[in-house]
Amino acid sequence: MRILLAEDDPLLGDGLRAGLRQMGFQVDWVRDGEAAARELRAEPYAAAVLDLGLPLKDGMDVLADTRRAGLTLPILVLTARDAVPDRIRGLDIGADDYVVKPVDLHELAARLRALVRRAHGQPQECLQANGLVLDAAARTVARAGAGEADAPTNDITLSTREFDLLHALMLNAGRVLSREQLEQHLYSWGQEVDSNAVEVHIHHLRRKLGADAIRTVRGVGYLVPREA
Amino acid sequence: MSSATRAPRSLQKRVTLLVIALLALVWLVTAVVTWRDVRHELDELLDSHLAQAAALLVVQQAAESEDDHPSDAPVLHRYATQVSFQVWHEGRLAQRSVNAPPTPLLPIGAAFQTGFRTLTVADTDWRVFAAHGAERDVQVFVAERVDSRHSILWAVLRGTLGPLALSLPLLALAAWWAVRQGMAPMRRLSQSLASRSPHALEPLPAHDAPAEMQPMLAALNGLFERITSMVTAERRFTADAAHELRTPIAAIRTQAQVALGEADSALRRHALQATLQGCDRATRLVAQLLMLSRLEASQGGNTALPEAAPITDLSNLARRVLADTAQDAVARGQTLSLDSSAACPVHADDSLAAALLRNLLDNALRYSPNGAQVRVCVQPLDDRVRLRVDDSGPGLAEADLQRLGERFFRVLGNGQSGSGLGWSIVRRIAAVQGAQVRAQRSPDLGGLRVEVDWPAA
Repeated sequence: MRILLAEDDPLLGDGLRAGLRQMGFQVDWVRDGEAAARELRAEPYAAAVLDLGLPLKDGMDVLADTRRAGLTLPILVLTARDAVPDRIRGLDIGADDYVVKPVDLHELAARLRALVRRAHGQPQECLQANGLVLDAAARTVARAGAGEADAPTNDITLSTREFDLLHALMLNAGRVLSREQLEQHLYSWGQEVDSNAVEVHIHHLRRKLGADAIRTVRGVGYLVPREA
Repeated sequence: MSSATRAPRSLQKRVTLLVIALLALVWLVTAVVTWRDVRHELDELLDSHLAQAAALLVVQQAAESEDDHPSDAPVLHRYATQVSFQVWHEGRLAQRSVNAPPTPLLPIGAAFQTGFRTLTVADTDWRVFAAHGAERDVQVFVAERVDSRHSILWAVLRGTLGPLALSLPLLALAAWWAVRQGMAPMRRLSQSLASRSPHALEPLPAHDAPAEMQPMLAALNGLFERITSMVTAERRFTADAAHELRTPIAAIRTQAQVALGEADSALRRHALQATLQGCDRATRLVAQLLMLSRLEASQGGNTALPEAAPITDLSNLARRVLADTAQDAVARGQTLSLDSSAACPVHADDSLAAALLRNLLDNALRYSPNGAQVRVCVQPLDDRVRLRVDDSGPGLAEADLQRLGERFFRVLGNGQSGSGLGWSIVRRIAAVQGAQVRAQRSPDLGGLRVEVDWPAA
C-alpha cells in the first residue's frame, strides 16, 4: 500500500518512513505543504499522513485544497495540536482521522489500514474475494473454507510485493486494475521498476494460489472477481 | 500570638460606639450646663423672695414696735414649713414662725450682719437672709430650707434632661442603623469578594461604589488585571512548551520503535542514532525552556540597574564562547572568526552574556549552510560596547525580522529543527542586562547581522 507522508521534522519524518515501511507500506515523504498538495494530486496514494504545522503551506490548507480538488483518499492528520477545537476543525475540513503526537507505529499502521479498508467499502479487517481471505494486519493470505483461519498451515507464503499486489487487487475486487495502476500501488519513489515486474508477480501468485485466482482482461489489466 | 488569634475589630462596631460615646458626652455636658444655669437662676429668684419677705417683716415690725409680746405666726399652708422667720426687736424675739427656734439663728445686736448665709439648724440646711430696720433695732431673719431648692432643681432637670436620657438608647440604635446603612457598599464588596471562586480574576464593578472605596477598588482591579495577564502568559508558555516537546518526543519514540523492529543492522543503527539525536534535541529544548522561564521569573525581582551588575570583559567572553562553539562549526565546514580589540569591560552578568552569545552563534551556525562564514566582532563605542554577529546564511525576510523573538516563532522550510526559543532567550537576557538588540541584513556577508549594545563599564 503506497502512502504519502507529509512531515517537516527531519527526525520524525525519517522515523515514520522507516517504521511504516517495516509495517509493509510504501512511503513517499514530503517536507512541506506545497509538495504535499502537489503529490496528492499527482499520484494515486492509498492514504496520506499529514502534519499540520508544515512550512510553505499549512496542513489545514493542504487538506482543504485536496478535498476541493475532489480527492477522496483517506487522510490521517498527525499533529502536536491537541486542543479539541483543532481536532474538530481538522475533521470538519476533511480529515478522516486525527492523531496527536507521539503515536505508536503499530497504532498508526492499524489506523491507516482501517482507513484504506473503509475507503474501499470493506467493513471487516479481513478481505474476502474469489475464495481467498487476506488479513492486511497480519499480512497473511489463506484459502476460504479451508479450515480455521488462524491455522498456520493454511497460510500461503507470499513475498512482500506479491502480497501488496494481491492486496491492491482484493481491495478493488471486481474491478480491473491496469499494469500502471498496480505499479503505482507497489513502488514508492526511487525504487527501480522492471517493465515486466507486475507480470512476474502475477505469475508467481497464480502458481501459489491457483490459475483462477487472478483473471487477465486482455489489453486492460488484471482483476480478482468479487465473491459470488 | 494573642494578636494572631484575636478576632479582627469590626469597623461598624467601632464607629457605632464612637457615635454613641459622643452623644453621651454631649448629653452630659448639656446636663451639667443646665444644672448650673438653673441653680443660679433659682438661687437668684428665691433669694430675692427671701429679701422681699424680710423687707415686709421689717416694715411690719416697725409699725407694731409697741407690742412687745412675742407671737408665733400661724401655719397658713403646708408649704409654710419650708420657710421660717424670726423678728428681733431690741434684742428680744418679737415674732417667729412656728418652725423657727426661739434662739437667734445668727448673732444679733452689735454682731449682727446683713446678707445671705447658709447654715445648719437641727440637721437641716437653711438659706438665711438677715436684714434690719432703719435704726437697727429691728433685726429680721428669713430662712428657707435648702433641700426645697434642690427638689425644684431636680424637678427642672428631670423635666428637661429626662426625655433626653430616655432617647439616648434610641439614638444609639439609630446611630447603629445609620452606620450599618453607610457601611453597606463595604459589606457588599466583602461579600462579593468572599463568594468569588479563587480563580475568578474578572474586575470588580466599581461604577456604583462610593468615592472612598474607589482607590481600593482601582488597586484591586489593577492587581486582578496583572495576575490575569501573568496567568495567561504562564498558560500560553506551558501549552507552547508542551507542543514543542511533542514533536521531539514523537521522533524519539518512532525511531526507537523502528530500531526495535528493524532486522537490518545498518538501518537499526541509523534509527538508534536518530533516537539519540532526538534525545539531544529534546534536552536542548528543555534547557532552553528552563532558561527562559528562569529569566522570566527573575524579570519581576531583577530590577537592578546595569551599573549594579558585575563587570565582564566582553572580548575575553567572546573568545571563550567561540572556543566552545568552534567544534560544531568545524564539523560543518563553517568558518568562525572573532575580531576584537583590547579589553571591553561592560556591566553584565558573565554567564547570562555568554548564554546570549551562545544562542546567537547557535542560530547563525544552525541556519547557515555548510561552508558558511560567521563573524563575531566586539568593538567599543562611546559609552557602549557593541557585540556583532554576521553570517553568510540565507538571512531573513523583513516580515520574519519583525517576528524574531516571538516565542516559538521559527522560520519554516529551512530544514532545521530549532524551537524558535533561542531568540526569545537573547531578547530576554538583553532586557534583563540593559542591552539593546537589533537584527538586520548583514551588509558584509549577506546573511543575518545581529548587534547587541552593552553599557560600557
